Amino acid sequence: MTASAWTPAPVALPLLAAAAVALFGHKVPRFVRTVIAFATSAFTAIVTAGLAWASLGDPIVYWFGDWAPRGQIPLGVCFVVDPIGAGLAALASVLVTAAVTFADRYFDDVQAVFHVLMLAFLGAIAGFCLTGDLFNLFVFFELMSAAAFALCGYKSREPGPLQGAINFGVTNTIGGFLVLDGLTLLYGRTGALNLAQIARTLGGAHDGLVIAAFALITCGFFVKAAVVPLHFWLPDAHAVAPTPVSVVFSGVMVECGVYAVARLYATVFAPSFAGFVPHARGLIIGAGVITALVGGVMCLAQRHLKRLLAFSTVAHVGVMVSGIGLLDARAFGGVATYVLGHGLVKSSLFLTAGMYLHRLRSVDELELRGRGGALPGALFLAGGLALAGAPPFGTFGGESEIEAAADSLGYGWLGIVFTIAAILTAGAVLRAAMRISFGWGPSDGEEDRGERSEETETRPGPGLPLAMWVPAAVLLALAFVLGTLTGLDRALRESALRFQDSSAYAARVLDGVVSAVPSAEPSADDGSSLPRSLLVVVLSCATAFAALFRERIPAGVRKLAVALLGGALRRLRALQSGHVGDYVTWLVLGVACFGALSALLLR
Amino acid sequence: MSPRTRRILFYFGAAGLVTILAWGVLGLPAYGQYQGPYGDLVSYAAVQSRHATDVVSAVNFDIRAIDTLGEEFILFTSVMGVVLLLRKRVEPKDVDEAAADVATGREKEPPSNAVRLLCLGLVGVSVLFGLYIVTHGQLTPGGGFQGGVVLATVPLLVYLAADVRVLHQIAPRKLVDAGEALAAGAFIGLGLVAVALQEPFLTNFLPLGTTGRIDSSGTIMAISIVTGIEVGGAFVVLLSSFLAETLERIPEEHRGEP
Repeated sequence: MTASAWTPAPVALPLLAAAAVALFGHKVPRFVRTVIAFATSAFTAIVTAGLAWASLGDPIVYWFGDWAPRGQIPLGVCFVVDPIGAGLAALASVLVTAAVTFADRYFDDVQAVFHVLMLAFLGAIAGFCLTGDLFNLFVFFELMSAAAFALCGYKSREPGPLQGAINFGVTNTIGGFLVLDGLTLLYGRTGALNLAQIARTLGGAHDGLVIAAFALITCGFFVKAAVVPLHFWLPDAHAVAPTPVSVVFSGVMVECGVYAVARLYATVFAPSFAGFVPHARGLIIGAGVITALVGGVMCLAQRHLKRLLAFSTVAHVGVMVSGIGLLDARAFGGVATYVLGHGLVKSSLFLTAGMYLHRLRSVDELELRGRGGALPGALFLAGGLALAGAPPFGTFGGESEIEAAADSLGYGWLGIVFTIAAILTAGAVLRAAMRISFGWGPSDGEEDRGERSEETETRPGPGLPLAMWVPAAVLLALAFVLGTLTGLDRALRESALRFQDSSAYAARVLDGVVSAVPSAEPSADDGSSLPRSLLVVVLSCATAFAALFRERIPAGVRKLAVALLGGALRRLRALQSGHVGDYVTWLVLGVACFGALSALLLR
Repeated sequence: MSPRTRRILFYFGAAGLVTILAWGVLGLPAYGQYQGPYGDLVSYAAVQSRHATDVVSAVNFDIRAIDTLGEEFILFTSVMGVVLLLRKRVEPKDVDEAAADVATGREKEPPSNAVRLLCLGLVGVSVLFGLYIVTHGQLTPGGGFQGGVVLATVPLLVYLAADVRVLHQIAPRKLVDAGEALAAGAFIGLGLVAVALQEPFLTNFLPLGTTGRIDSSGTIMAISIVTGIEVGGAFVVLLSSFLAETLERIPEEHRGEP
């Protein structure tokens, strides 16, 4: 069997397994269900990683139903596999594998639904990452959402948690509508749904329809990516979703939104906006920077561990969006590395929070003060350092690449924004880790006003089950190993060069023309990023210590800090009201602003 | 945010959104000026290469079958989600809640003879019509999605004519659940048969037959039928989940005799 024959497997196998578990899952012991889900997602991880490897030299184009283009006009649907899409699908498979392992101790009452939904979710993400067709992308986007809404409401025994799931459902459905609107405009103009065909038919056309379609589709996916101010659903959803579900939400679902924006810009819109590159950069980077800063500040202000991690995801999405906003292959390769590293580290952190919830029946940082065990404490600390971009974790390599690209394009100041975001988020995680493990810091404080309660998810048991801590440790170890793999960043940069080339993509898909492998310069790692990242680690620790021992800071400095940040923080908190009407209002306003700015800047 | 502020802000945003949409719509080709070659090519390909006279079904179940697979699983997953969210509560405290939640108005009045006659009369017609729509999708407008919904009205008619116990007798929940899952899996199975025959996933591998006859168009009819079972099953599961949610909160003594 050739490699390309495996292309439909990452979609077909998880969905088939989902149907099988739905059929006889309730007749077999839970252990069997876990094994089926584990084996399917682990095998999908192998297949997607293999597809990423096989597509290094040349993308795999796979026409379903043997409907290859007739006279360059595609009638059917194709998957276009490249290492970046397949790599994201592989990340999703690894995280689902870890999540179903962790969840072995979970959910005694509902027989098989959890595994069905997780497998359907995985199949949807795989299709989303591999497809080369705009409507097919939307179908898998919706399938991903349908599974995610149900998974988010899993603990729906109380009205409170249900509200988080409803906010998630309503806002993300509006995001889906925005994508559908933009898609319809493009189809109405070009009569095509295949990405390559749309790009070729548009032929660099640049008018109101293209700008409107760009604004609508980008904003629709920005809702999923939790870009400020379309992000309000994310902390609420993470706080109520079961821990294994938070893992896949933060680790890969949100990143799928970023991926789709990058994919569609590079493939469809880039030729149209070729004369407006600085403006397009300003627009997308602006959204990214606001997201990074708002997420960072809110992260530091949380005491509910899962909300804290959720806001740190918002901040990291800001970094990713800024990275793709540079519209540059090197930066894009960096974002790909960053997404891998972040997904693994963040998932490990969520699993550790889940261990606290299992062992100590709480995810409240202040309530857990001094009660954490050695093992979760070590994992949480290491995860915090990795989040700060400590070498050699994947986050470090990715961020250095984005910064190097930003420097060469004259956006050097982005480095400062990334540093602030890293310090705020890693500082918050390290603060929580030290408070929980060592009992440092007061047992009340500024974080006091945040959310705190969390429904428990498991039956209490003695000790920490292997199925809980091993996945967290393995994910962290993977993030470590990926960071040390020389050649990974180079492969991703070569793939990124290909990813950015709209006409080569169209030629490959529609005409079958194989273009030469673009050769990327080896990353100019002159060692200048190493001291900077060590500085970030030190500053993150300093932030954590400052938060823990704020009594010892001179009163003048403290007052200054409160004056600088207190007001902004209060307002940001007030915005996170939990009211779905508020969230929709901000969403619509955000889309209108993005659309207006697109009209002004890209016209 | 006060409701008033929210409303004002929302109107501002919505006005902006409508403006963007309108700007986009103005760029569309004028009415009747369709330029795309897709429609012509598809109409030709459906009849010539697949012997299907209903082009929409050919697109749904063959040319873009992978989209339909995704859509079928959206329905499957959504129904799973509904079952999950409406699941029975098990904690003892919830039993008290349920007792406090008694609403006698929720029980169903016995249907009048007119309703019974009408519904029972429609049952046979609906079964026939549903089967016709599901199996003739390759020839005339219809197919698995529409036919499945028609078939799902049959248990609803039975519920209206009799009561929920009869509904469960003619459509046992276990059977419907199993049928739904089996049909969802069978769609993928049909796709994988093509892979086993060294063809791409979801390739039409059955004999195409004579255009215009019921046995024409190969796997289009097969996929249409499994989709019909899946869609019909999904709607029956939804119906019986919602009914269970409503009825099981009513204690035994309040329940009317059928």
